[in-house]
Amino acid sequence: MVYFILKRLIQSVFVMIAVAFLAFSLFRFVGDPITQMTGVETSIEDQERLREELGLNDPFVAQFVRFTGDMLQGDFGYSYRTRQPVGEMIATRVPATLELGIVALLISLVVGIPTGVFTALRPRGFATQTILLTTLVGVSIPTFVIGIMLIFLFGVQLGWLPTFGRGGTVQIGGWETSLFTIDGWRALILPAITLGVYQLTLTMRLVRAEMMEVLRSDYIRFGMARGVPMRSLYFRHALANTMVPVITIIGLQFGGVIAFSIVTESVFQWPGMGLLFLESIRFVDIPVMGVYLVVIAFFFVLVNLIVDLLYLAIDPRLRVKDTS
Amino acid sequence: MIAFIKRYEGLWLFTRSPAAIIAAIVAFFSIFGAIFAPLIASVNPYDLASFSLMDGLLPPVWEDYGNPKFLLGTDDQGRDMVSSILYGARLSLIIGISAMTIATVLGVGLGLAAGYYGGRFDMIVMRIADIQLALPAILTALLIDGIARGILPTEVQQDLRVAVLTLAIALSLWVNFARTARASTFVQMQKEYVQAAIIMGQRPIRVMFVHILPNILGPLLVIMTVDLASAILLEATLSFLGIGLPADSPSLGTLIRIGMQFMLSGEWWILWIPTVFLVALVISINILGDFLRDVFNPRLR
Amino acid sequence: MKNLILKNSAMVAGALLIGAASASAAEFKWASNTDPQTMDPHAVNSAPVLSFLNNVYEGLVRRNQGMSIEGSLAESWEPLQDDDGWRFNLRQGVTFQDGAAFTSEDVMFSYERASNEAADVRSWFAPVSEVRVVDDFTIDFITKAPNPLFPDSIANFMILDKGWAEANGAELPARDAENHATMNVNGTGAFKVASRDPGVKTVLVPNEGWWGEATHNITEATFTPIGNAATGLAALLSSEIDFIQPIPLQDVAQVESRDGFKVLEGEETRVIMFGFGHEHEELLYSSDVTGKNPFADARVRLAAAHAIDIASIDRVLFRGKIEGASQLVPAGISGYSEANSDRPAYDPDRAKALLAEAGYPEGFSFGLKCPNDRYINDEALCRAAASMFAAVGLNAELSTGPVRDYWPQLREDAFDMYLLGWSPGTFDMEHPIRFLMSTPNKEKKLGSWNFGGYSNARVDELLPGIQREVNPAARQAMVDEVVAITQEEVAYIPLYTQPLIWAAKDNVDLTQRADNFFMLRWVTVN
Repeated sequence: MVYFILKRLIQSVFVMIAVAFLAFSLFRFVGDPITQMTGVETSIEDQERLREELGLNDPFVAQFVRFTGDMLQGDFGYSYRTRQPVGEMIATRVPATLELGIVALLISLVVGIPTGVFTALRPRGFATQTILLTTLVGVSIPTFVIGIMLIFLFGVQLGWLPTFGRGGTVQIGGWETSLFTIDGWRALILPAITLGVYQLTLTMRLVRAEMMEVLRSDYIRFGMARGVPMRSLYFRHALANTMVPVITIIGLQFGGVIAFSIVTESVFQWPGMGLLFLESIRFVDIPVMGVYLVVIAFFFVLVNLIVDLLYLAIDPRLRVKDTS
Repeated sequence: MIAFIKRYEGLWLFTRSPAAIIAAIVAFFSIFGAIFAPLIASVNPYDLASFSLMDGLLPPVWEDYGNPKFLLGTDDQGRDMVSSILYGARLSLIIGISAMTIATVLGVGLGLAAGYYGGRFDMIVMRIADIQLALPAILTALLIDGIARGILPTEVQQDLRVAVLTLAIALSLWVNFARTARASTFVQMQKEYVQAAIIMGQRPIRVMFVHILPNILGPLLVIMTVDLASAILLEATLSFLGIGLPADSPSLGTLIRIGMQFMLSGEWWILWIPTVFLVALVISINILGDFLRDVFNPRLR
Repeated sequence: MKNLILKNSAMVAGALLIGAASASAAEFKWASNTDPQTMDPHAVNSAPVLSFLNNVYEGLVRRNQGMSIEGSLAESWEPLQDDDGWRFNLRQGVTFQDGAAFTSEDVMFSYERASNEAADVRSWFAPVSEVRVVDDFTIDFITKAPNPLFPDSIANFMILDKGWAEANGAELPARDAENHATMNVNGTGAFKVASRDPGVKTVLVPNEGWWGEATHNITEATFTPIGNAATGLAALLSSEIDFIQPIPLQDVAQVESRDGFKVLEGEETRVIMFGFGHEHEELLYSSDVTGKNPFADARVRLAAAHAIDIASIDRVLFRGKIEGASQLVPAGISGYSEANSDRPAYDPDRAKALLAEAGYPEGFSFGLKCPNDRYINDEALCRAAASMFAAVGLNAELSTGPVRDYWPQLREDAFDMYLLGWSPGTFDMEHPIRFLMSTPNKEKKLGSWNFGGYSNARVDELLPGIQREVNPAARQAMVDEVVAITQEEVAYIPLYTQPLIWAAKDNVDLTQRADNFFMLRWVTVN
């Protein structure tokens, strides 16, 4: 077990380096940071001097080595746009994105798993068909359209909820949270729903598919024949057996949630990492983009590691294979 | 023989499912319209000379000031909405179907092999998958777009936008297939029939595709249907973030992105007509996907 | 667990109390689409930064509501008698926000800081040869040649406190890393920065010790950048903010139709135009013309100008809110040539005739480059223009992209025709002549945005005279000649002046200045 974890940790480091490399190689194509850093009246020599100072004329490999080397020493560099330390900039944005992502994921699970089970148990019912169709409409409208619609319905027309930002935040040990104020929760509702709606449908459909599959299996039929109570069959045996793929999906979803929070954050002006990243693309803020990607990669690697470990805990059959 | 029975059974089931019939009709007309767009559409929305700004912002024909020449009105450029939607659907379907196909082939192939062989190969595939997952779709699109811009001459870049976008979307979707295929393959590998096939000395390719694949199709089909839909939506989202298709060769997603600007300005048709069309198309695809899954996997009925 | 919940509800209650206490009539919240990227007034020469910092820092001179120059930290100024240059007589009794007194040493220090290689604003001081402190409240700027426009050109040159900057290690603008002045502010202006969270919000409060008389009634002003236009509009319509700049043109009717909101419309000083690859040997993106560049022929350029139907663009794309432009500055800017105020009429037949005359009766295809996130409706404009060009046989292959990628392409000459917007930084016609019409010359720092390499010897000859001439009539005659030449040769196709659309709650009075700067000291909340 320890050996397995160690092995995964070493692999994870390679994944991160690979992401850093890919990310870094794409920067060169995003645009020219210099024209975004200077005004129209700045002379071409001044622009060239800045380019030289920032090391943008150095060979690609040298730039990459410097980037990763500095990062390994904990030096994340300075933003081209604001000249602030990138580590700090990202750190202040992490809580907003994580809180939004986790609440969205919770919404998708809390709603998705029960409706998935329900629609699996009554596959032909009118309610099931209605739920399936409604959620389909939900995933068929682009996220950004849903977000703006929600803003205009609940923010402008009804005036119930704020239209942008995080509302009231509180500092708890360096973590800026909006979960402990009413304002904060009010501001969180719309973005979390917008972000969660797609994942919700996916969760529901997967739970449903898995559940229907399991319900047909021999041991459930056998249990029915033996007179095991249906409630116990459904929830203790059947649902438990759908959990392996569902955990995979949750792991995958968290990645999806963080990635798609870029769109949600942009629509709701939610001050998270995704918004910072979008601004950085606009200004070709290479250091911020690079560190953002590596941080995102770190989250993915972490979540995947946890998912794999959960696999081992849940399904003993996999244990034999992976530890051998 | 089995295939024949399945088809026959499928047809019988089909006649009993009104949702599937409606979905099939919608999908048929969309795909028909998309394929024959150049013949049906009154103007070619890619041909800048074929429309005029003078016709801009006309409402659909049933509203005041509607013009019978433009059944569903025009956008801010004077482009006929009917023609735009037909051409847009064509482009969206091309991108969605190709991206999904590439993702499926790549993901299922790698996932099956990873599950089957396990060990080092599995490790490598899964770590590549991790790398891919760690790069959100928007970044993959930026990366592919950037590399294409780096290596292709400027003249062809504009023409290859569709291919670049398709590849970017496919690359951000294949991991779902790979991970699901791998997890399911692991489970199947423990089953007697697979062990029996391996012991009987059947070639790995045959074991994977003939024995294992049909038994893991259920979850894969769900992902395929959901992913065809998400491929089409992802294209729209990328275009919203400014890395999709240019406005002069619009897909449905681009039309919606353009329409967003007019959400509050009174010209509702520019946004809502393509949106309703997109939603109808995506829902039809999903319903048909559900239906196909039922046919393929009778145990779910 | 129980404890935690109790603690949480206490925090909730606390937060509500704070919210209730600070709600007052003169609190003001506003939004714009871009956050000022730094608080250092010399680090970046960009409108969002300079506009924002004009509320907290001040220059020797400043622009009033009508854009003309008035005294600020300098009470008066006059040309030097013995040398070329200007003398500024500074205001006495002014203090910085940290209490330090303002003297000519601070001006000297700020000049050195702003003209340093590390400063992005140093081009403002290119004409300056020397600065001399005369006494505590008098300072002379010596210029290399007579420079009547110099005071106008430094309206955004903001003064830092020498002692404060030196004590905090901010002697120079931050180059690759931050310094104290990146996040902290110590100006003499009417407001000071109470808190700043870059990209999220910045809070300003009135500077009680300001030398001027406050005409606003703001107790606290909060700025939030909102990048997405629809979100920004929603924030205004739901009354979460009091004012936003800018809003999309097509939403003007929506805002006006609601009770309690108003739209402020004006014209920016930015003229949108098409430029040509004058000096290119051949077309880069043509499928039918090789080996030559039709745009080298003035008749072809004139044909392109006649193909544009500004009235339709105005009606459909801009909802009647633009004015056609005849030259590179709008009317009202100093140096605007009244004598040349006609723009080429929309005349597709004449355009076709001109093309035939130039040897292209069937027209030809070429590449048109446009940004899609720089100017109002830039992409839609280019699509419409491409369609109009196509109608006379000029088949434009349109390619659009974000501005981060657009300028590098223009610098690399990767265009046949391109879109450009230009706002004269000095609010004088000399500015576009220097940047857009002069033959590119690196040593003399001329024509640095003249991507197509337009070149006319007479224009180059007239520019130094325009820069030096003190007599307004003589100067205007020279400007008129330049405008006439460039119109005759169709150096650019000026299209229109970009509109300026702001929106606010009805109870807010404010001033919309043509440079799109927003001054808090002109705001009253009723």
